[in-house]
Amino acid sequence: MTGPVEVPVAPLLEVRNLAAGYGDIRAVWDVSLTVHPGKLTAILGRNGAGKTSTLRVIAGLTKIGGGSISFREEDISGLQTHRRVVKGMALVQDGKRVFHRLTVEENLFLGGYTLGIRRRKMPAHLTRIYDMFPALGERRRVVVGQLSGGQQQMVAIGQALMAEPSLLMLDEPSGGLAPAIVDEVMSILVNLKKAGMGVLLVEQQVEAAIEVADHVVVLEIGRVILDSPAREIVDLDVLKEAYFGKARVTNESSDNDGPR
Amino acid sequence: MSVLNRLKSVPSFTFPVVAAILLLLLPQLGLSDANQRQLLLIGFLTLLVSGLNLSLGYAGELALGQPAIYATGAYVAAYMGAHGSTDILLQILAAIGAALVVGLLTGIPGLRLGSWSLAMTSFFLVLLIPDITNILINVTGGPSGAVGIAPPTLFGALLTNYGFYLVCMLSVIIWLAFMRNLVTSRHGIALRVMRQSPVLASSLGISVFRTKLVAYALGAVPAGVAGALFANLDSYVSPGSFSFALAISILAASILGGATSVYGAVLGAVIMQLGPSVSTSFQQDALIFYGILLIAGGVLLSDGLTGLITRAWKRYVVRPDHVTRSTTHSPQDFHFEPMAGATLSVKGVSKSFGGNVALRDVSLTAERGQVTALIGPNGSGKTTLLNMICGFYPIDAGTIDLDGVRLDNRRPHEIAGRGLARTFQTPVIPTGITVSQAVLAGRYSPERVSIASAALRLPKFWKVRAHDEERVAQTLAIVGLSELADEEAVSLPLGTRRLLEIARALVSNPSVILLDEAASGLDEGEVARLAVLIGRVRDAGGTVILVEHNFRLVLSLADTIHVLAQGEIIASGAPADIEVNPRVLKEYLGVKDVGAAAAAIEAETTGHAS
Amino acid sequence: MMTLVWSALTIGAVYALVATGYNVVFTASGVFNFAHAQFMMLGVYLSYAGIVILKWPIFFVFVLAGGVVFLAAILEERIAIRFVRVAEAQLVTTVGFATLINGAVQRIWGPSPLAVPFFGSSQVQTLFGGRVLPDELVIIVITFVIVFALMLMSRRTMIGLAMLAIAENREAALLRGINVRRLALGAFAFSGLLAGLLGPILGPQTFAGAGLASAIALYGFVALAIGGFGSLPGGLIGGFVVGFAQEFAARYLNSNYPDVVVFVILLLVLLLKPNGLFGKIRERVV
Repeated sequence: MTGPVEVPVAPLLEVRNLAAGYGDIRAVWDVSLTVHPGKLTAILGRNGAGKTSTLRVIAGLTKIGGGSISFREEDISGLQTHRRVVKGMALVQDGKRVFHRLTVEENLFLGGYTLGIRRRKMPAHLTRIYDMFPALGERRRVVVGQLSGGQQQMVAIGQALMAEPSLLMLDEPSGGLAPAIVDEVMSILVNLKKAGMGVLLVEQQVEAAIEVADHVVVLEIGRVILDSPAREIVDLDVLKEAYFGKARVTNESSDNDGPR
Repeated sequence: MSVLNRLKSVPSFTFPVVAAILLLLLPQLGLSDANQRQLLLIGFLTLLVSGLNLSLGYAGELALGQPAIYATGAYVAAYMGAHGSTDILLQILAAIGAALVVGLLTGIPGLRLGSWSLAMTSFFLVLLIPDITNILINVTGGPSGAVGIAPPTLFGALLTNYGFYLVCMLSVIIWLAFMRNLVTSRHGIALRVMRQSPVLASSLGISVFRTKLVAYALGAVPAGVAGALFANLDSYVSPGSFSFALAISILAASILGGATSVYGAVLGAVIMQLGPSVSTSFQQDALIFYGILLIAGGVLLSDGLTGLITRAWKRYVVRPDHVTRSTTHSPQDFHFEPMAGATLSVKGVSKSFGGNVALRDVSLTAERGQVTALIGPNGSGKTTLLNMICGFYPIDAGTIDLDGVRLDNRRPHEIAGRGLARTFQTPVIPTGITVSQAVLAGRYSPERVSIASAALRLPKFWKVRAHDEERVAQTLAIVGLSELADEEAVSLPLGTRRLLEIARALVSNPSVILLDEAASGLDEGEVARLAVLIGRVRDAGGTVILVEHNFRLVLSLADTIHVLAQGEIIASGAPADIEVNPRVLKEYLGVKDVGAAAAAIEAETTGHAS
Repeated sequence: MMTLVWSALTIGAVYALVATGYNVVFTASGVFNFAHAQFMMLGVYLSYAGIVILKWPIFFVFVLAGGVVFLAAILEERIAIRFVRVAEAQLVTTVGFATLINGAVQRIWGPSPLAVPFFGSSQVQTLFGGRVLPDELVIIVITFVIVFALMLMSRRTMIGLAMLAIAENREAALLRGINVRRLALGAFAFSGLLAGLLGPILGPQTFAGAGLASAIALYGFVALAIGGFGSLPGGLIGGFVVGFAQEFAARYLNSNYPDVVVFVILLLVLLLKPNGLFGKIRERVV
């Protein structure tokens, strides 16, 4: 079930046969994927396919039910969420879950929580984020709840980047955003990738995701139904099937052929 | 084991009835006066604890003011007894009235805030007892207590010792029967639903605030009764009897016996009353003991000793031999009664959270006998709109009406009461109830039964119950869940739980049924069954609103589709139009090469993109 | 008249301190710690033991009171909070822990009230035309200092920000690497330490008595309800409102009325302004 290993470099994140949830509430049945440094892996699939749950398990918000998660070649599946953050993984949740009652700058400060409370070197980090998102620099003292959706999404990403993670996970960063802002978000991801960060992206916007992805994993009912390098996806049939079509519920889900 | 099995077939109320008769006869069997007094005190404590159970165990609200209500009842009876109204029934009635007044007075403000506020407001009452008795010193006798209470009478005759005992014990028995009838009726299910999910409760037409208030205020009744009886026990009442320590020991008895139980109150009261007399060191360390008990009770035994016993009973005696079957037969060709659908119109609705616009000028109409679908990517505002229709969010601008009656800015339970039923993205099924009970919960608003008729089992109750049972059975048959009627609802597989939610919505005979992501997580067969069911609701004349991600399901079922993106409706129309609408493909699917993708879908052949 | 104001301020400050204790724990962990008033009572009893029985130097009395209550708070978090998820069960366990402290205190020191001497001067001062004791002034000043320091901390330090973050969204806080459990424990421990350290200061005013905790718990709660849950300045103002209401009711009505007046205020606040003066109104989320 594991995807073909194509790069000899040690993976940043390696998830094997992940399962989570109990009984039929089980959202993740069997998911394997890898993220390499400087590469972007996209998780696609329709609503309820288990994408968000997969991210939650990797981040430690949902208890792991089976399989393993290794991060920088270390098994982290038993660690608490905040320990994983300290190790260098960051998750940007969907729905712009930032701290709405705090200001932009306070949110960013919190992003740098793991850098150490005494380290007041944060200004340098802040400047970096403000350079990346000039709109935030102009609104440092504004309470986040009063920003627009796109700006809140930038706060969410900026906050995650404050901790200088080596792995950035994003859950539908394009949710509810206008197309122009989606493009902006995607180009930021490309830049982060170039800077050597590993990115794990959950998206519904198929093409936008494939454009920036190096590797694509498609989930259906908690299982991987397609695992392929992005450049090999010239045929969107499988994806269409996953989105429009009936669920593929073959139990030994193999990912060989497309629909019909 | 066979004896136990035979015991199981005896109706559940047999043991309590036998116990009650025995209890009433005890003094005739040579019970000593001292023991008789002990029994009476246990009876009073049972009333106090049982009242707390109704509020803590069933409504989920901690009340610490039982001693104050007890005092109110006692002083009312004392005043009457000292001023010529010695009839004990009159005193009890007056005490009930006074208890209800105090209950409402503290309950209405106390239930406005989180769970602490009722606890503290009612606790405050206990602090006030000495002050109030001082202020009303002419009535209460102040710190030295009320004296001169004439012995109680009943219908003009002086009560004998045994007569008084009978009155007291009958009061306890009647209350417990009342309580049992209440919690086994649909109101009991309503309480259970409310405690586990206030959102579900209000979607079923149950007013959360009112239900909690009624439970808390009703819980004051037995405390008032106990007070009236207590005043006549020694013909003397003083403020010292109603202390903080009593509040704590009532709570401890409730936790010990199991707050969510009817007869647990008796068990808790027996232990709390007899415990101190067992050893003197117990008395000295009572508070320490209560403290430990409350901590342990809160941590370990969420349902007290009674819960432990019930669980052991279930585990070792009942021992279910069936395996939970997930099989459901397909929807039967039952005659679907015509449904009185209604037209729901949303006009120019807008909503923003902080600086975030969630919905901008959204208008749509859902007609009777039609399926109206609402689709859109995550974050597009579907859920917000749904929650606004159901009354969970106030709207900033625009109107929502149902056949011309304005719904916007009404409370969720009022909207549900007007015939709007819904299902949830993640099915909300309370634990501890069967499939048919879960469906029964949906019958709360279409046909109402007062608490009094339920608890007193008046004809109206039986009539509605018969009707309820018929409708529930019918609806279960329609969705194909009849065989699972007695299974525990929450342990069913996801697909079955979704069908159950639809049954719960249908059973109320709604004019509009709102399905929130009803197909997500279902397998192919289940989706097909769901589609058939929705089709039948539509054909019966119901108004169906479908919020769905499953594009194919929507295309095949909907009469009209509205597409939301970034809070705006970007397209509305028949499935055939939506399917090829370039904006929809772009926004909803993130497909950029629109022409090719549209062609791809239409022809179901390869679409080439970048 | 001014003398009345001084005593209202003093008693109001005590309630404000209780409300502040509730607030600190509530912000960091979402728990309403019913037992906080018992922490303060325990601090007062320990001060009595340290000053009157053991005759320790005042510094060690502070250490004793602060340290023991600090440990008691940790104990409470560990046994009565951490593994109890349901809010109503937490109510029961915190009431249980409060009862446990009540019982222990009565077991050790008996039921009758004990006077705790003030460690400083007890010379009556005249200030703004009213008579006031030094210990009363200390209480008032300390209260302002504590509340303002906490207000500053909550916005200016990482820990303060982290607590606000937890209060708003626990999961999002975890994802920023905040050890939510440890901070919750820390908030408990801190509130306990503070309550203990206040013992020698409050004792001369409140006495060490069995009914102390229930009374200040209720008045502190009213202060909290007036000010709004989670609001530090709200708790301060609420405390003074209660203090003034009590003192003036006692003076101008009679000694039976202070509690009744406070109770009526509580009912009115809950009815008319359930979120308090400074409470944050949150949109309901389904």
